[in-house]
Amino acid sequence: MFAVFRDLIRYNIEFAIGMVLVSIIVVFSALSYFSPVDTTLIYMTIPDQPPSPQFWFGTNSRGQDMFWQLSAAFKNSLIFGITVAVLSRIISIAVGLTAGYVGGWVDRVLMFINDIFVSVPIFPILVLFYFVLRSNMDSLTLALIMAAFGWPFDARLIRSVALGLKHREFTRHAVFAGMNTRKVLLEEHLPYVMPIVFATFMNNMLWSIGLEVTLAVLGFTNINQPTIGTVLYWANSHSAMVVGTWWWIVIPVILIVMTFLGLFLLAVSMNEYIDPRSRLRRMGA
Amino acid sequence: MDRRSFMLGTAAGALMISAKGLAFAQEAEGTAPDLNQFPRNETVIVHNPEGVIRNPAWFNPWVVGSGAGTSNGTHNLTTDTLWFIDPDAGIEGASDNAVYNSLADGPWEYNADFTEMTVKLKQGIKWSDGVDFTAADVVYTVEKQKATPGTPYNGAFTAQVKSVEATDDYTVHFVLNAANSRFHALFSVRWTAAWIMPKHIMEAQEDILTFANNPPVSLGPYTLHSFDPNGTWYIWEKRADWDKTAMGMVGEPKPKYIIYRNNISTDNRLIEMRNGNLDMVHDLTPEGTFSIVQQDPQIQGWFPGFPYAHPDPTLVMAIFNHQNPKFQDKRIRWALALMLDARAMSMASYRGAATLSAISVPPTGTHPRDYHGPLQEFLTNYEIDTGTSKVKPYDPTIGMQIAEMVRPQFGDAVPTDETAIRNAFGYGWWKQNIAAAEELLTAAGLTKNGNQWMQADGTPFGFSVMVPQEGVVNRLGVIIAQTWAQNGIAAEAEVASDTWDRQRVGNYECNIAWAVETWGGHPDLSFFLDSYHSAYVAEPGKSQPDRNWMRWKDPRLDEIIEKIRGIDFNDPKGIEYGTDFVKLHLEEMPNIPIMAYNVFSIQSNRFWTGWPNAENNYANPVTNWSNGRYIFTQITPVA
Amino acid sequence: MNSYLWFVGKRTLQMLAVIFCGISATFLVTHLSPIDPVEQVLGRLSARANLSPEAIASTRAALSEMYGTGQPILAQYFSFWTRLLRGDLGPSLMAFPTPAMTLVLRAMPWTLGLLVSATLITFVVGNLLGALAGYNQNNRFFKIFGIVAMGIQPIPYYVVAFILLIIFGFLWPVLPISGGFAMDVTPGWNWPYISSVLQHAILPGASVVLVGFGGWFIGMRALVSNIVNDDYVTYAELAGVKKSTIVGGYVIRNAVVPQLTALAMALGGVFSGTVITEQVFNYPGLGSLLIDAVNAGDYALVLAVSTVSITAVAVAIFIVDLLHPLLDPRVRTE
Repeated sequence: MFAVFRDLIRYNIEFAIGMVLVSIIVVFSALSYFSPVDTTLIYMTIPDQPPSPQFWFGTNSRGQDMFWQLSAAFKNSLIFGITVAVLSRIISIAVGLTAGYVGGWVDRVLMFINDIFVSVPIFPILVLFYFVLRSNMDSLTLALIMAAFGWPFDARLIRSVALGLKHREFTRHAVFAGMNTRKVLLEEHLPYVMPIVFATFMNNMLWSIGLEVTLAVLGFTNINQPTIGTVLYWANSHSAMVVGTWWWIVIPVILIVMTFLGLFLLAVSMNEYIDPRSRLRRMGA
Repeated sequence: MDRRSFMLGTAAGALMISAKGLAFAQEAEGTAPDLNQFPRNETVIVHNPEGVIRNPAWFNPWVVGSGAGTSNGTHNLTTDTLWFIDPDAGIEGASDNAVYNSLADGPWEYNADFTEMTVKLKQGIKWSDGVDFTAADVVYTVEKQKATPGTPYNGAFTAQVKSVEATDDYTVHFVLNAANSRFHALFSVRWTAAWIMPKHIMEAQEDILTFANNPPVSLGPYTLHSFDPNGTWYIWEKRADWDKTAMGMVGEPKPKYIIYRNNISTDNRLIEMRNGNLDMVHDLTPEGTFSIVQQDPQIQGWFPGFPYAHPDPTLVMAIFNHQNPKFQDKRIRWALALMLDARAMSMASYRGAATLSAISVPPTGTHPRDYHGPLQEFLTNYEIDTGTSKVKPYDPTIGMQIAEMVRPQFGDAVPTDETAIRNAFGYGWWKQNIAAAEELLTAAGLTKNGNQWMQADGTPFGFSVMVPQEGVVNRLGVIIAQTWAQNGIAAEAEVASDTWDRQRVGNYECNIAWAVETWGGHPDLSFFLDSYHSAYVAEPGKSQPDRNWMRWKDPRLDEIIEKIRGIDFNDPKGIEYGTDFVKLHLEEMPNIPIMAYNVFSIQSNRFWTGWPNAENNYANPVTNWSNGRYIFTQITPVA
Repeated sequence: MNSYLWFVGKRTLQMLAVIFCGISATFLVTHLSPIDPVEQVLGRLSARANLSPEAIASTRAALSEMYGTGQPILAQYFSFWTRLLRGDLGPSLMAFPTPAMTLVLRAMPWTLGLLVSATLITFVVGNLLGALAGYNQNNRFFKIFGIVAMGIQPIPYYVVAFILLIIFGFLWPVLPISGGFAMDVTPGWNWPYISSVLQHAILPGASVVLVGFGGWFIGMRALVSNIVNDDYVTYAELAGVKKSTIVGGYVIRNAVVPQLTALAMALGGVFSGTVITEQVFNYPGLGSLLIDAVNAGDYALVLAVSTVSITAVAVAIFIVDLLHPLLDPRVRTE
């Protein structure tokens, strides 16, 4: 695994750039653990100050220092994205491997459920959940709900790989050796699908953070908590772009592009490293 | 199947379907004019704050929940009723004490015990199809709605009207079920009221609830010209016989066409006004207003300088739920009030552009003349006993202080004259006094543990502060919760998208909203106060009539309300009883009045001029009020 | 062929079951919503007028009766399906008594017109350029192009749309920023109307294309660069087959199969609309209709939009599955 990583950095320029971009953002986000201000409070400093040596990223119309505000926002969004990705990976691995290996009616039932999840329109469902849960709709709840919807495409992908693994020699050996299904899946098959899991991990993060931005911009999340989406929400509700507080939009956008581009480059380069076709099956998502 | 033909087929098919669909969806609705028909010196373009109107071809305002547009011109230009009460001063000569006689020829006339009301109607008014407006229309309006559930005044008329008859073609006589000196309020427009129905049109319908009324027969000086089948704009054209309408009798409406445009997001409104595609905008963000007024000298707000916004006769306040055990003690409610910092609230919500009020009457319209001014001395000497000491909490200089705070940023735009500052920033508010607040809390049995106040049972004293999703009220609520939290109250702002539903069933602890709305131009307080009667207070969790959201009960309050019910609307005693209410409210502090709901309504003088403003306050420029219709009689084209 | 028919039958049943379960799930979630459409109407009514408590109580009773909101949820569920099977989705509650389907049909042409054309443009342009870039791997133009495409593709959609709005509506106001067509044209088959519709679609359309096309481009480039190294392409080149024939006839033909699958899914997804596009450009369509419906507690309308959307996606998956064996003989129907 480490050798692969080293090769990627050395030979794949896209991977290297992605790695640098993501590292910058991760370090920037981690700074929020040392934030000298409480980022949920408003009017703690002079509003509407452009970037300066005192306020590197300026201050917004709510009297918040944008540097610390954005640091916290990116931290929260990254944690959110990783939570969704981890949870939905677990579901998709479980469903995909089981369906592929066990086959028969188990496969049919799982893929049937899979198809239901694919066809239910996720955006209105999320908005409905927001109204049902209201103030209980914190980041973690939203992450859980999105994880419940973020697995079906990748489960199908993993299943297709698992289908192939089922008839391979080593599987038969393992079964003859008396390994039970759980063991076969976890010890024999899982390592083969791990590359796909890593590649889809990045794509899933892009998807979930992007969707969080959409929801937040429309005001359907807890807008008191700084995230990438709520930063844009507040900028929007103070007409930031048209009244000239450009740094409130431009700096977050640059950081967003860095994050998304970084994650995207990582996903693409790892994908191409593994199998150029695997990514395509996700495109409908 | 051949792949290429599959792809081409899909593409062509999809395009055909959507093109056909578009033509289908649009073809139903009349002919739209070409651009030359709307020269800007004959056309006013108004922003209507409604979202997409989902039932665009529906012009029957006598059905509730139809999804039709309301402030899209329908209730501004085509409907009419007996009286209009202006939220500002009203046009001089055409109104008396802000009351316009619209379809009525004079004021309401009650019998001695307020069980009967007689109205004389104006003669010579015609519906747009040439039919005379008469007493029969008024009688039909009441009787038809009484008989038809699903009409907006079905409940009101059923509950209050015993009988209604036309004693002649221009006189209507109401007999009421019970004495009610405010019955005329149903026919007095403050934003809206019971609109008179065209009897000759409606009685021809089998079921008026399914009648779209397209195009509407108009009782105002405009008729429908054309509209967007997707529900985002409506064009109205002046009637040739505009002088045969009640509004025309006030003055000739100048624009030949009035266009109402809705579903325009905040930033797009600003852009469209700057590009000359809007003359009146309902509201912008505070920041947007400051920026566009600086960039374009032709654009004006209500005040000539800072704070620009029009104060609506609506009072934003922190409302405590009186059915919650935490807020039973008035010392706690007062302590929470004294913890707040008026300057911080004004800066956070309106960037300093707030009009503060310490009393439970909005500091708008003619109320400063009737209440705030006369009560200034009383407030300055107002004393509360904290149990440990006596303090005079009122600070009459807060308005001046805020003016000084914003002067560095806005310079000459901030008034210097003391009266102007009072009108724009308010007469004063409570001075933040943490020591007094702590004494009150201690007296109420709370104890301080570190920086946290604890209740008698040892749990931290805290509550959620419900705020709407956006706008200045959201910003205000967040800073209020933050101020309380900084002073040891575990208060937390809770952003909710359905605050209206929740306050109706009492599902909140503290709520930032308004429980006070008034006529604005008239000193009578019954518009909100009548609903404060304890008879209307519901069980916790049960839906409650509007406005007494805090569910405050007090026998002294009931007494004041009953006294007001017993006197005429214009009786000078009204102000006296209103003042009694203000004093009772001060003693109990059931909610904390904070500031007027100021709306950043702006107008452009590029094509039209003569808009109302603080100096010439003849009307409310907030475009969705029906009362704003008189503006069209006062403006003139620039070129 | 028999086995193919058997496969079609099985897939049809499965599709119907998916649609049934999807709609039922949406029904359930929708009815969990705490928003009461009756209270919404009352709120709008009493917020503006001076109504007595008795008046409000009797109006509430009348509305609950009309909307049928007082019934138990199971009864509402059964009456929903019996009506749906007759093709009736019931009256919308926020535009009572207009049928919910009328509202959907009014918004749908705009969403389809904008998104279907934008998706197709994106698909064709993205894949064509992607194929060329994959075939001419060392061409400098395509390399730079690839970097730009990669840079734009991951930006959140809202940001792209908003930047376009600011540039072409505010800084350099040359394009219309609100609505579907201008106020001075007559809807119908006439040039002023059509040109106005097209003009108003430029910005929203461009935003969708900008965000979408990078994905196709990158995917196709990857696919083609793999195929190019396959033996049959090398043979064709050695045999002197024209370059355009190789790209058009062999390479794209083989690479486009997986892309078509994705296209069908993308087209199916079009039916829930794009709220953000509609919000930023005040464009008519299904997305904002859906949000309005959720806000108003109009579950009849939420269900109507969801039903259309779920059906569209399920049918798209179905068609893809049916076509797959025909397009790609390597896929068996087992």
